[in-house]
Amino acid sequence: MIRFDNLRYRSLAIDALSIGKGITSVIGRNGSGKTTLLKLCAGITLPESGTIIIDGNPPRKDEIGWVNEFPDRNILFATVHEEIASSLRFRHIPGDEIEEHVMSCMNSMEISHLGKRSMRELSGGEKVLVALAAALVHQPRLLVLDEYDSHLDTDLTEKIEGILRQSLVTYIIRCTQDMETAARGDNVICLINGKIGCAGSPEIVFSSLVDTPFYPLAWRCRT
Amino acid sequence: MAVQDVKIVLTDVQAARKNWSLTAQGTLYEGTHLISGAVGSGKSTLALMLAGLFPPVSGQIKREDVSTLMVSFQYPEYHITGTTLEEECSSWGLDPFSVLTAANLTGKKTENPIKLSRGELKMLLLACVLAGNYDLLILDEPFSSLDCYGKERICKRLSERSRGITVIFTHEQTIFPRIDRIWEIRNGELCDRGGLPEALRHWYYAPKVIKNLISAGKIPKNITPGDLLEAACRT
Repeated sequence: MIRFDNLRYRSLAIDALSIGKGITSVIGRNGSGKTTLLKLCAGITLPESGTIIIDGNPPRKDEIGWVNEFPDRNILFATVHEEIASSLRFRHIPGDEIEEHVMSCMNSMEISHLGKRSMRELSGGEKVLVALAAALVHQPRLLVLDEYDSHLDTDLTEKIEGILRQSLVTYIIRCTQDMETAARGDNVICLINGKIGCAGSPEIVFSSLVDTPFYPLAWRCRT
Repeated sequence: MAVQDVKIVLTDVQAARKNWSLTAQGTLYEGTHLISGAVGSGKSTLALMLAGLFPPVSGQIKREDVSTLMVSFQYPEYHITGTTLEEECSSWGLDPFSVLTAANLTGKKTENPIKLSRGELKMLLLACVLAGNYDLLILDEPFSSLDCYGKERICKRLSERSRGITVIFTHEQTIFPRIDRIWEIRNGELCDRGGLPEALRHWYYAPKVIKNLISAGKIPKNITPGDLLEAACRT
């Protein structure tokens, strides 16, 4: 369980919230605090007050994977293989184990063919896949995805959905502006001006948004 | 829509980089054109070529009777020159109050644009872009990062454009303005899928909701949310 208690950071204020296992989609208007919440969950920023506890630990004491909207901003190394291996190398894991993890991760994501490619030569979608591999390779307890899908086509979005579903990550928190994607999550959190407007299953949350454009069009158009 | 002579004619256009190439042929007449394609297929390159900002390797792109042109880049940061929202609006020669009202950012006029959330920044840029009345308006991924209200607002504004050519490059799946013609980049080639609704039958990258409607025999008249809903509710 991920527990938020009296969390405060700038305009974000969450008094009490618990998130269960699986994929949690964070939705809300631009400027409602989605990225702020995700950065706090990832431990990139620290709360001004209050706590986030992931199965007993604060984010910075746990294994977290992070993918942002623009993977270019997180790229550190020249080739795909080096980029994916980097988080394991920073942990001083033996070389043969790193190789095993990297190959296994690339195989499961069907990106082995990219291993020797230069990061700079990849397409935007390939960069997202590599960023996701680099975030998954150290088997995080929590994977945080900040609008990773905003520049992806349908095929890639569905491929990544499959990868996320097959991953062994306990908690995945993602924000998206695609409500069809959000509705496929196990839980949805809707932020309104930095506060929790509604949280729960997709059915519960979207039933409170039926009169807004956030209600998934595919649900309205069920044939 | 009034018939004018404004058009873009692409003749044997070719663009190429390492491991990638694109060919394009056809004419974009007045109206709203939607161009879809996979990530990395060359949509942004084609947008730059249509605007005359990137030369094709061979062939010709002729913009006929286009005297005013605007490109909205995928990444809004590329457009920013002001250090406050007010300054940014003024740099476009626009009245800050009306732009910030259109962008739903009235309370933030003294803030630095770079401090806005990504969606807010995109909205600011689009409000500045859409305040002008251009013969040719090219929008590269205008809906990415926008929330659903923002997408609706932009679609409404685009639908109000009464003249000129609008070209929208997008991966958007649900919220569209009214579209006159659909194109897509497939296997390195720009393909003209035709006018609506007929184009919907041949649209490879059609959003799932549209594909579902078509397979149920419910062809929407266009692809605005209202059109899709009307088709879905048809008995």
